[in-house]
Amino acid sequence: MSADYFKFSQASRRDLLRAAMYGVSVSAGSALRMSLFGQAAAAVAAEAESNGKILVVLELSGGNDGLNTLIPYADDAYYKHRPNLGIPRKQVRAIDDHFGFSHGMAGFERLYKNGQLAIVHGCGYENPSFSHFTSMAYWQTAAPNSGEPYGWVGRLADAMAPGAPPNFLVDIDSHQSLAVRSKLHVPVVFDDPNRFTREVFAVERTVADAAVPAIKVDNPSQGYLLDIARSARSSSALVREAWAKYKSPVDYGLVSLDLPKVAALIQAGMPARLYYTSYRNNAFDTHVFQADVHQRLLTYASDAVAAFLADLERIGRADDVVVMIFSEFGRRVPENVNLGTDHGTANLMFVAGKQVKGGHYGKVPSLTDLDSGDNLIFTTDFRRVYATMISGWLGYRGTRELLHADFESFDMFRKREA
Amino acid sequence: MPDPERPVAISPAAPTAGPSAWQNDLAPIASADWNYNFAAHLLERAGFGGRPDEIHALAKLTPAQAIARMVRFEDADPTQLAPFDESGIRDPGLEPFPPSRPAVTDQAKETGHALGIDVKRAGNRRLQPIVNEFFYWLRASVLETHRVAYWWANRMLTSPRPLEEKMALFWHGHFASNEGKVRDYRKLLRQVELFQSQGTGNFRKLLLAVAQDPAMLVFLDAGVNIKGASNENFAREIMELFTMGVGHYTEKDIREAARAFTGWNCVDIKFVVNKDQHDDGEKTFLGKTGPFDGSDVINIILDQPATADFIAAKIYRFFVRQDPSPQLQATLGSKLRNANYELKPLLETIFLSRDFYSPASVGTAIKSPVELAVGTYHKLGLTAIPGVPDFNSVTGALGQQLLSPPTVAGWNAGQSWVTPGLLLERGNFARDVLFPTISFIPPDRYGSPDIRSVADRIRRGMDITEATKPDTKSGDLAESNMAADRDEEFNTRYGSYRGWQMAIERVKAIPRDTAHINLTKIITGAEIKTTSDAIDYLIGRFMRVPPGGEVRQKLIAFLDYELGTADLAAARTYMEDSLRLALHLIMSQPEYQLA
Repeated sequence: MSADYFKFSQASRRDLLRAAMYGVSVSAGSALRMSLFGQAAAAVAAEAESNGKILVVLELSGGNDGLNTLIPYADDAYYKHRPNLGIPRKQVRAIDDHFGFSHGMAGFERLYKNGQLAIVHGCGYENPSFSHFTSMAYWQTAAPNSGEPYGWVGRLADAMAPGAPPNFLVDIDSHQSLAVRSKLHVPVVFDDPNRFTREVFAVERTVADAAVPAIKVDNPSQGYLLDIARSARSSSALVREAWAKYKSPVDYGLVSLDLPKVAALIQAGMPARLYYTSYRNNAFDTHVFQADVHQRLLTYASDAVAAFLADLERIGRADDVVVMIFSEFGRRVPENVNLGTDHGTANLMFVAGKQVKGGHYGKVPSLTDLDSGDNLIFTTDFRRVYATMISGWLGYRGTRELLHADFESFDMFRKREA
Repeated sequence: MPDPERPVAISPAAPTAGPSAWQNDLAPIASADWNYNFAAHLLERAGFGGRPDEIHALAKLTPAQAIARMVRFEDADPTQLAPFDESGIRDPGLEPFPPSRPAVTDQAKETGHALGIDVKRAGNRRLQPIVNEFFYWLRASVLETHRVAYWWANRMLTSPRPLEEKMALFWHGHFASNEGKVRDYRKLLRQVELFQSQGTGNFRKLLLAVAQDPAMLVFLDAGVNIKGASNENFAREIMELFTMGVGHYTEKDIREAARAFTGWNCVDIKFVVNKDQHDDGEKTFLGKTGPFDGSDVINIILDQPATADFIAAKIYRFFVRQDPSPQLQATLGSKLRNANYELKPLLETIFLSRDFYSPASVGTAIKSPVELAVGTYHKLGLTAIPGVPDFNSVTGALGQQLLSPPTVAGWNAGQSWVTPGLLLERGNFARDVLFPTISFIPPDRYGSPDIRSVADRIRRGMDITEATKPDTKSGDLAESNMAADRDEEFNTRYGSYRGWQMAIERVKAIPRDTAHINLTKIITGAEIKTTSDAIDYLIGRFMRVPPGGEVRQKLIAFLDYELGTADLAAARTYMEDSLRLALHLIMSQPEYQLA
């Protein structure tokens, strides 16, 4: 792609987009010239390209039951809290003398045993919300109890690449996630790559393929739609071609969580550094009869993530990508009377990748010292894991401004070769 | 201030919006200010858009009369709207429907029967008929729900009371339930009928009816909210999403409210209170103490000022714009409160206000997928929702399938409706309407690839075990594929296939007519003479915000070239295809998404 990134802090997003468009369209004689931005461009490009690493965020929506994901089978308190839902020791896929994965999670077990899976314990925040929507918004903005309007991945994109080069930030979903909401970038949001195309007849091309008019409008919704149209124009062909060329022998299982699409884009050399995808529609909200359905959800997620890493290995990019997995909260420690679990607090996070130093991180929360609502007391602010991704993995230094406070990173990645 | 690009053919040179000083002004607009474009805006928002004849009819009235016609619609005869045409798919043994396939087979193994069917005495796959019936109902209910959605969309398209349907759509997003969890089209149908019949009535009555509505009871797990073991799902959402919003109650209030709702449940499609499951002890809820039940909790919630503020603001955001000022919200909230939660006075205030016709409000809403599809059909002059393209597939792909909101929070509205992928998809929808595919596959008759693969192998004579083995690519088989079928008493994949077959035998087919469109007749009827007037007419008829930049000139040049003349009289016999191409290009514009 073009390296014509530019930094111009006073410029509005629309001005920048317009400039970007002029950079690739016919109106080179316009008042908005590349030279205006030229000097800053190299610096920004250098920053954005600093280490070329890619972060994939996978959201498990609905509140995954962490205790039945990674089972503390050596802790009697677990079985006391979960007389019916507790997963018997003999069904657990033990990874050490204390913990084991739920029996369908062969994929995670393999990743862990290969040293490619970091398990972070007790992730949460002060004054937790038990509402899906509120807590998810806190995780997506990395700003609990604040009202931050932009997503943390969106802010990260703005900070890493303030020139807002196209196709830097990808969200594969039916609608845009709050997590990628950005001040400067228009995230590439699509669901089905085959449908990510304007279907036109040959005779319509002169009008249909014309550049989106660079006009100033007073109607903010119209301005938004024109920005979206520009983004669609610059990304749809890339995405479609990447998907058409992608053929993988890797079995992602029954629910691939859009990870093959991410693999296809990475294989095709999409310039995106940040990907966001989710197990959608509150799937993990298991209030009633959870055993079978939760087991199934975990199997699917574990299959898909393990397959994704295998696929990255196949295409030779395994060293460049990590996947961070989270859910908006865990579930209450004691099972409920409906053979399910209710909304809880602290939970596990996972980070998977070939460059990840596998193992346990953070302090394991106590199953006997619970809060007044029978919930785990969090031990790790989830933003420590975000900070680890931002500085430790992506190499961006301004973590403090991004997350509005200092959060200590974990030493989670292997030493890079010089 | 006349705009040279405005389609003069149908709209007098009237402003599309009032002065910006009207923003936040709830005073009614004066008759002298009323015009064609304001009437068009009213139909766009309070209904699903208007055709020129409908807009003219409203423009001729005073604003007060026009708004009364929309809101006080009791005189508009709804009898032409047929009730839902049931396929008749419900079997007697299905109630109560178990929560999962394993629950069905466990029950069958324990008791010897389930879903009204006995376990086979001997032989192989003794549970198979029961598993088949389980998948039959799942599939049949989904397919029948698709028919309910068609029925509702047809009402949106043709009702003489468009606001009744628009408000029902609002409540469907507010009190969201979906088929995926409810698994019973009858409950969802009744919920839609509730929103239609009470959606513009009184919020107090509506809220109580929703709390006792079988679809909602199932959707938010009422069945498992019992004395001594309350389930907080409904109690939380009624406060967070349905009435007050976060910040007006505590976690303890949620637990206490959940106790008050214990025992509220449904049997089949009837609301019941199971007295022995109801906790009639004292509860302390939002500062009041007493042996409350669900109705008491609802009354206490409705006594909170936050409730009217929250509901009024949400209605405003749906009909007007996303960012009402706090002061405007407070004023609208007190209107609703003072009207004792009657909704029509609030709706009249909103639609009559200068604020509604201010530049901040006009042409600034992004159409939802259902509004886009129904509005497109309405403005094309159709009298039925086409079967091709499939309405549910289209709206689902665009992010708003009826009776299938993703979560209890409904849909994210506003800018969330459009992403780069979805903007292109919206243009593709227009093409699928104007130039329908000739290889259309009806999704209500045609199973998924997995099902079809099983079906093909069974018909080729393979035994069930072989026929239902998953296709595997080379490499390791994922755990989920290995684990799919290990129980020899039944075969899940076969059950899923057989369930499909049983379902399509009994669920009526959706008619698959394509849209009957005649743009030549529309253009000729409007006495349009030139290509530039035709483009202006189409822009005026279909868009509330004209496309920016050079797009209009490009469209005119395109039509000139396509027709070989600028004179429509010369091209009258062959202009249909070219007009449709031009309309497709118009409907692909970013501005077509605005209402």
